[in-house]
Amino acid sequence: MSLPLILYLAATVVPVFFSRVAAAPTWLSLQGLALCWIGLSGHEGLSAHAVLAGLEVLLVRALLVPWLLRRALGKSAQARKSLMPSNLFAWGAAITLTILAFRFGDGTGGNLRALTLGVIAAIVMIAFLILATNREPGAQLVALLFMENALMLFESLMPAPWPLPVHLGLSGVYVLTVIVGSWLVGGHTRHGHTTTSKENP
Amino acid sequence: MNGTTVSDMPFSSRRPTDSGRWIAPALVAFALLGWLASIWVFAAHDLAELPRYFAAGYLVLDPTSLLFVLVMNTVFLGISVYMLSRERGSPELTRDIRVRAALTVVFMLVLNIGVMSNHLILLWVLIEVSTSCAALMMVCGTFGTSKEIAWRYMLYSSMTLAITFLGFMCLTQSAHLRGIEISFHVDQLGAALTTARDGWQRLGLALILFGLGGKLGLAPLYSWLPETYEAAPTSTSALLAAVQFNISVVAMFRVLQVFQPYDSTFAAHELLVMGYVSLLVAAVQIMASRNYKRLIAYACISSSGVIALGLSVGKTAAYGVVLYIVSNAFVKSLLFITAGRLRAVYGTNEVAPLSGVIRVLPFAGLLFTGGIFALLGFPPFASFLAEMLILSGIVQAGNLMAFTLMCAMLTIIFVATGRTVFPMLWGEPKQQVPQVEESLVTMIPKLGFVGVLTMLGTYTPAPITDLLRAVALSIGGV
Repeated sequence: MSLPLILYLAATVVPVFFSRVAAAPTWLSLQGLALCWIGLSGHEGLSAHAVLAGLEVLLVRALLVPWLLRRALGKSAQARKSLMPSNLFAWGAAITLTILAFRFGDGTGGNLRALTLGVIAAIVMIAFLILATNREPGAQLVALLFMENALMLFESLMPAPWPLPVHLGLSGVYVLTVIVGSWLVGGHTRHGHTTTSKENP
Repeated sequence: MNGTTVSDMPFSSRRPTDSGRWIAPALVAFALLGWLASIWVFAAHDLAELPRYFAAGYLVLDPTSLLFVLVMNTVFLGISVYMLSRERGSPELTRDIRVRAALTVVFMLVLNIGVMSNHLILLWVLIEVSTSCAALMMVCGTFGTSKEIAWRYMLYSSMTLAITFLGFMCLTQSAHLRGIEISFHVDQLGAALTTARDGWQRLGLALILFGLGGKLGLAPLYSWLPETYEAAPTSTSALLAAVQFNISVVAMFRVLQVFQPYDSTFAAHELLVMGYVSLLVAAVQIMASRNYKRLIAYACISSSGVIALGLSVGKTAAYGVVLYIVSNAFVKSLLFITAGRLRAVYGTNEVAPLSGVIRVLPFAGLLFTGGIFALLGFPPFASFLAEMLILSGIVQAGNLMAFTLMCAMLTIIFVATGRTVFPMLWGEPKQQVPQVEESLVTMIPKLGFVGVLTMLGTYTPAPITDLLRAVALSIGGV
């Protein structure tokens, strides 16, 4: 397993077990850095396109989105909650899913590509686990961002980075998720019950 | 505001304003322009000269994109006229009209580009963007706590789309193991597929269909749909059900078009199962529903079930499926905007207090009845013809068990819907509500929708028939 891939995996798995929601922006920054590193070292040759894509990953995933998330979480009560509930069942499920995900990726022969697949599968599984076990919207938003980062890792499996429109589109979705998600999640903390539209025009 | 604090209010618009009176007419003008442009594109291009690629091959004009651009813009024109008609009578809509109009314009632009997308990942991105717009639109005109439902909608959509993306990843892996470079351009993806039984390819296809099925409201990933359609403002519900639904249909069509020569049987089996489970879920939930907006939402799940079943059969049912999808866009719009009228007069989505609607709102009541009949597949509406074609296709495919189950579920849905809705429309009034005047502008979009539905069910002009047939052929029709 390559060093950036290890860094990426650690930046995703460690906070799930040991971190609070408030620390998630830092971990997301680390993930962004690792993704940039993987992007720059993964593809054959360092073309201008690859450098541009790497820079864009760095700016959006390591700087902009973590900053936006940190601002949104602020000092809200949900920022102090654990990312995944700290209980034996959740821990056991997370460990089992991680092992199964690597077994899934390993079907291709244990090379870097298989490990990358394993990492993507593990992170998506863990993100689903957080969504299933944590009802705190802040933690759910972080899980969603982890998942979207994992999908971005998929790019490293391609022989060349995505074409620029696709690449920008994926980053746009990531930024939109954090902006819209933060706003919607922010509304949650002040309200406790569900109502329907009052105007229905 | 009934106990709502200023900080609860959506966005920054916290006071009704007269300076924004031009916005609703401008939205109608934008919709009219979009509609005229789509008509011009339809009239200017012979089907034989399609597909035409542009924007460096990222966009395509083919029968599928042409049909859905036409349908979406027609439906949107009706919804925008409805918004105009309701704006003056609804202080909440007046207050939020700037934000809502801006979001609606972005939403429609994204969807129009989306249906023309020739790249699956780009299409995926555009569906995600439209979801974010829709989540914001859901909160317009509502207060505070509907943010929770908007968040759940966004969360569910992102999860289903993540599953779809995992499918793309599996296809990439499948191609890599066979030493082929994959491209996600719709016209090039086929070169990376194989007719041999390939585990990664099948897993990819299964995940893509499963994820997109969730966006269509197919079981088991349907639970976002009823609460979203119920909680959203009426115009947003109509846009979600009749416009955004279609971009997910286009994505499904693109996948089926690509996989048609390779693994259509596997896709058919998955769609068959999802279709049946959806019909079953819809039948049970409609029986239990006592809320007319939620009932329409469950009916949307049953419609998705019928579409999935039709797609699974293909061949002669394919034309029926395409007609059904087109007709459904108009039926859902008609029902949601009429339901919005009922809600505005009665102030509730519950069925119980609404007995005798036809006496209070004769026109809206009649149109709601018409919409329900169209939804249930009665003649002379297009849905009748479409359901007959789908059922006939299932019989011709020799799947009598499927035919029986579909008939049984549709009968249950018919009885359950009628039992809930007809007393609401025709029953003895439980409360005295004075008859409400309905303006001509309110009637125009609804009458337009009924007109289109009747036209498609009785006499379809040859160019439209040709277009529907071309789309049906592309998804495995004969």
